[in-house]
Amino acid sequence: MTSYRYIGRRVPRIDARDKVTGRTVYSTDRYSENMLRARVLRSSLPHAKIIRLDVSRARELPGVEAVLTHEDIPGHNGFGIVTPNWPVLCVDRVRYRGDALALVAARDEETAEEALSLIEVEYEPLPIIETPEEALREDAPLIHEGGNIQHSMDIPPKGDVEKGLAESDIVIEETYSTQFMEHAYLETEGGVAIYDEEEGVITVWCGDQYAFRDQLQIARSLDWDPLKIRVIGSPTGGAFGGKDEISVQIHLALLAYYTKKPVRLHWSREESIVAGPKRHAMKTTFRIGMGNDGKLKAIDVKVVANTGAYDTIAGPVLNLSLESSPGPYKYPQSRFRGISVYTNNAMGGEFRGFGAAQVVFGLEQELDKLAERLGMDPIEFRLLNAVEEGDISALGHRLQTSVGIKETLEAARKTDLWRDREKIKRDLNAAARYKKFGVGVASEWHAVGLGVGLPDFSNIIVEIHEGGEIILRTGAIEIGQGNLTAYAQMLAEALGCDIEKIKVIHGDTFESPDSGTVTASRSILINGNAILDAVKTLQPKLIEIAADKFGIPGDELEYSDGRVSFRSDPDRTLTLAELADHAGSSGVPIKVTGTAVFATSDKDFGDGLPHNYYTYITQIALVGVDTGTGEVEVLKVISLPEMGKAINVDGVEGQCEGAVVMGQGYTLYENVVVEKGEFKTTGFATYILPTALDVPEQETVIVEKFEKSGPFGAKGVGEAPTVPVTPAIVNAIYDAVRVRFKKLPITPEAVLEKMRDLAGTEER
Amino acid sequence: MEEITVQFMLNGKAVRVETPPAFTLLRLLRERLGLTGTKPGCERGECGACTVLLDGEPVNSCLILAPQVEGREVLTIEGLADGDKLNPIQEAFIEKSAVQCGYCIPGMIMSATALLDTNPEPSRDEIKTAISGNLCRCTGYTKIIRAIEVAAERIRKR
Repeated sequence: MTSYRYIGRRVPRIDARDKVTGRTVYSTDRYSENMLRARVLRSSLPHAKIIRLDVSRARELPGVEAVLTHEDIPGHNGFGIVTPNWPVLCVDRVRYRGDALALVAARDEETAEEALSLIEVEYEPLPIIETPEEALREDAPLIHEGGNIQHSMDIPPKGDVEKGLAESDIVIEETYSTQFMEHAYLETEGGVAIYDEEEGVITVWCGDQYAFRDQLQIARSLDWDPLKIRVIGSPTGGAFGGKDEISVQIHLALLAYYTKKPVRLHWSREESIVAGPKRHAMKTTFRIGMGNDGKLKAIDVKVVANTGAYDTIAGPVLNLSLESSPGPYKYPQSRFRGISVYTNNAMGGEFRGFGAAQVVFGLEQELDKLAERLGMDPIEFRLLNAVEEGDISALGHRLQTSVGIKETLEAARKTDLWRDREKIKRDLNAAARYKKFGVGVASEWHAVGLGVGLPDFSNIIVEIHEGGEIILRTGAIEIGQGNLTAYAQMLAEALGCDIEKIKVIHGDTFESPDSGTVTASRSILINGNAILDAVKTLQPKLIEIAADKFGIPGDELEYSDGRVSFRSDPDRTLTLAELADHAGSSGVPIKVTGTAVFATSDKDFGDGLPHNYYTYITQIALVGVDTGTGEVEVLKVISLPEMGKAINVDGVEGQCEGAVVMGQGYTLYENVVVEKGEFKTTGFATYILPTALDVPEQETVIVEKFEKSGPFGAKGVGEAPTVPVTPAIVNAIYDAVRVRFKKLPITPEAVLEKMRDLAGTEER
Repeated sequence: MEEITVQFMLNGKAVRVETPPAFTLLRLLRERLGLTGTKPGCERGECGACTVLLDGEPVNSCLILAPQVEGREVLTIEGLADGDKLNPIQEAFIEKSAVQCGYCIPGMIMSATALLDTNPEPSRDEIKTAISGNLCRCTGYTKIIRAIEVAAERIRKR
């Protein structure tokens, strides 16, 4: 076992000191003299034609510096990670309540607000389509010219699924539905822009997930040279997938361009909920067959996604739903089909868990039902069907990277909570007779990286400056997960230097290279590999500099632990600081670049499918159900992730603990309620997040498995722990009160109703 | 609208500042006094990100109007450290990795400060109650609760 100084340890975050003192400057913390305040006019109808848009009265209001409409957009009037059909400012049609019609910049918030009220809009209402079912009716009005199906995917079937089901001893079928979910990052979308006329540069500060893509999307809409647009996207106050897409960036750049003054735009909480993307609402139908021996034989999955009005990244989300839907299990025959459908509901988009949370909720209940049919233990049943490295997956690709699902299940089986669960439930019940307690388990595989065929790369730069300061430049954004600390750990470990010497410059299109987007649990693996690639180039360079300084051939020197020394006399050394000073004095500063590209799967089903790396995870939940009120209390959750090597133990635990609570919210409380296109949940009084009083005791059991192509053996862990926690809780509720749920969230009312139905059935 | 003058104690120092009368304390701190450690998360008293101490009591600064602080004492996240020396709660938050995106953290630390000022030996439930008005979307609260426990132990040992 390699012994590391930083890797696999609990390393305090490099950004924590500034965060606990309030010194961290988020993009929405920027204020300056003469800074204008901007506001966006949003549609007052969910679906309508725009007959007239008159901004003249708003333009005349004293203190107003600019009122912009679609006519003021020099370039493409649209944005979108995959297909840019989401209007920057609507022209003749609105398709959801969050659509933007006009922008105002004024001397203060109050004037901007007043100007919005002076904009006159005349609409002709159109029928409101709430669900995919309505959108797919033959007489449904078209939300977009090309039809109401945004994307469809039919993965080439493996074998003959109908034959597989016909030959199964037990076949079960069920449809599950899930709600729209809000990211609810504490920092809503916002930022500041400044136009430097002399240099022709527009600078946008905006907490995001990928400054370089924002740069291109801004440039496309402003018809501007992308190299003259500077985006600073890091740090951000939470993102969870919701800040990968454009929010305020193009609006800010337009206003800065037209007013030539610093402009600030910060969405209200309500605006963030109404206008920003959500986790897609989906319906998933499973047909699963198995033999009497407990071996799965066939799976047929159909997913229908409610994607809202525009594309953003809905296609890849649906694709990953399909890829995630069989779970890490073997099925000889399979078929996966899905469609994503436009509606006038909330906007579906990218959200941590990316299409997986919706389908795994159903799958892992189906697996428990199958195990129960045979009287098998749920963990035994999963172990019997789990994949191993080298196996062919349910989709038909070979699993060529580390596969740790069995190890996570074995570890789960050994936990006290699982082993002693009957006693634990009995003891709890003895102390609270009106409650029933249950323990549930669920697992998942979660794709890491963007997938085959997509540009999945990283570039980083390492510099050593005089005095020995090491600068790591990465385009990656610190969205909260602690990736910057992990990069510093990996660089310090590879160079053999103190982590305190490293300064990370991040997420700035002018000051850091393009490291790809911070999404898809990809950053540790790809940026880590790019860092190791840079160090590989750096070491010979350092030896070269030392050779020059000592005047001897390089092969008489070697690099280790932050210094170059004589092979013949290890005490004669040059430190990094001395090497940097020498390089600086000879006019060639030490600077190297590192790159990495994701290795891809042996199959290509198109649109990124399938993936080559997965995080594997099992989670166990203990719940108490109040039989009088129907309230579900989550008492304990154990997460057992296999993410390759853990770079920062505190970081892995932090990801699991936060993800579990996010999954708990999704399961029990959170629901973006939209009726006839109108948002009924507009803040945290109606959209309920778990508080400190609601959360379970948590434990994280890190199941390490070395992945040879990952940095120090690492893969990634950002998303997986938010997914199986939902079915683990639902399976635990079943264990407690013998009722199952096909719909989220599981409210106390729903629990009571199901329990009453069950009691009624039993009486009969 | 005509601005008014407000005088109060801010982080131990007397300040006198011009403000529109309808400004919230949150906006006054951020936009007039340059103290951006206090964060807006919802601006309607539902998230706790803007928590500061007013005469020692934790309040949502988005629900306090600037003129209401006249003659009173306000403590913000910027007022906790003594120069480079962090207070025990701040230290524990770093050490226990209680910080992720960090946006809720100033408010969280202010609520913890109010708790430990009045109750140096809080139970875990008392800690949870004290921060139940502070939403965090990143951490799941586990390490935050642990950090406050550690800070309480250290303060008691002094």
